[in-house]
Amino acid sequence: MIRSLAAKTLRERWRMAAIFVGVIVAYTLLVVAIYPSIGKVKTDYAKNIPKAFAKFFGVSSFNLTTFNNYVTLQFLSLMWVILVAAFVIAMARRMVAGELKEGTLEFLLSQPVQRWKLLSVQAALLLATIVGFVLVTVGSIVAFAAAFNVGSTYGGYVVFILPACALFIAIAGYSILFSAMFRDPGRAAMAAAGLTLVFYLMNFAASYWKSVEFMGWFSIFKYYQPLDFIQKASLPVRDVLVPCALGLVSFAAALWVFQRRDVAP
Amino acid sequence: MPTNVISTESLTKYYGKVVGVEGLNMEVQQGELFGFLGPNGAGKTTTIRLVMGMLKPNRGRASVLGLDAWRQSVEVKRLVGYLPGEPAFYPRMTGEEMVRFVASFDGNGEDSGRELAGRLELDIGRRIEGYSRGMKQKLAIVLALMKRPPLLIMDEPTNGLDPITQHVLYEILRELREGGTTLLFSSHNLPEVERLADRVGIIRQGHLVGTERIEDLRNMRLRNVEVIYADEPPDRLDKLAGVIDFERAGNRVQLKFKGDLNVLLAELTRNELLDLSIGHASLEDVFLEFYNLEGDEQQ
Repeated sequence: MIRSLAAKTLRERWRMAAIFVGVIVAYTLLVVAIYPSIGKVKTDYAKNIPKAFAKFFGVSSFNLTTFNNYVTLQFLSLMWVILVAAFVIAMARRMVAGELKEGTLEFLLSQPVQRWKLLSVQAALLLATIVGFVLVTVGSIVAFAAAFNVGSTYGGYVVFILPACALFIAIAGYSILFSAMFRDPGRAAMAAAGLTLVFYLMNFAASYWKSVEFMGWFSIFKYYQPLDFIQKASLPVRDVLVPCALGLVSFAAALWVFQRRDVAP
Repeated sequence: MPTNVISTESLTKYYGKVVGVEGLNMEVQQGELFGFLGPNGAGKTTTIRLVMGMLKPNRGRASVLGLDAWRQSVEVKRLVGYLPGEPAFYPRMTGEEMVRFVASFDGNGEDSGRELAGRLELDIGRRIEGYSRGMKQKLAIVLALMKRPPLLIMDEPTNGLDPITQHVLYEILRELREGGTTLLFSSHNLPEVERLADRVGIIRQGHLVGTERIEDLRNMRLRNVEVIYADEPPDRLDKLAGVIDFERAGNRVQLKFKGDLNVLLAELTRNELLDLSIGHASLEDVFLEFYNLEGDEQQ
């Protein structure tokens, strides 16, 4: 039964996931390929950019002197997060609210399947997809950097995998919760995207204004510092555990809601 | 002693302040075909979804084959074939894949599903995105029946089906009944209920008006009569014993009659007729008359 549910979910999602992998690989190629040209003007370019702007992008300054700084700034700190978060939210909204609206949830639950099992199978596949995306991203960066001969050390990227996955596990957790709570998949996606944006702005505010520095601890982006992970190359346990805990608690809440909610389009 | 396959006790469901069903007490016995009749929005689908454990009741309970419909809904679904009112599937899958998918939950029904698809002349090799409304309904029927469950719950089973397929479905349902299957189905199609059901329950505005055997209702022999007179209708026609809902507009008279037709005909033909039609009143008219209720169906 679990195998059939997983196969059904995979059949629905593989096209979108494949397109997404293609986009990530192509974008990574673009970012890495233009680094040799950017590198020639990198210092002047960096000096003229305000510090607040750099903080908005989740870095302390627009220092493009190294490939790692450049890749973090151009890709991993914001653009990549937006791309993967959008995919995660889109997949999560389908899980309950989307299937409910389309009427397929009524069909699924007319079969002898426990609700928690149904949601858990879909969540496990989303988790596997997240890990896959992170691995593809890191693999692409390393492969293209080697091909263009622009990188130096890659150990930090291996460390980056875990906290990056943790960030998207947190986003997936509350996105699934909203999907289980709302009848309308659009509202579920809006709520998840809105909360992600609030977390991002909280982190920006906390890093820019001392008076609200405490807010950073309540944002998932406080625990996502890609440049630190890559440069220090040591496993940031706290930055993995906190977002994972949020993801798990949100998912447990989603199960609780889904077990009790009415299922009718 | 008949065994109850489905029973509900004070089953109540509200959608906010709107009543879905309220205080519903109903029993469906083993081996019977129970028709659930009522206009759109009366609460038929809500009741079916409560019995299927899709909705959580605000009050009361439903039990299916001795199991609580909400708390033991997974066990219930092992024993029930369900046809939803508006079947929805995954458009990229083929009918065949859907049959295999449903069979995979407990490993049976695949061959039976193919056979049923053949009888309903459904091409299960095609992707569902290319199916018409009627084809989707056929697929939903195949998926509901393919495991030969002891209980079938069908919400408007002939929706979107052409008359030939409807006939095939009636045949299949009769065969299943001979094998001991119990059927609860909803419909707003009166002839369908009369044709299939042993017993009928009428639901209106979320309340079960009552349940009766079809045969008992038919035996009441309520008839619709319409007469056009050449001139005036006979005096005191409305006072004749057995005349109900008498209406007169000029030389045209409409009434419902319960009793000996010879007496009625003798009375009607006292004056010269231009036209006369006598037909069986609808099941619902009979039912409402039986329970002495207003015939309006305002929601």
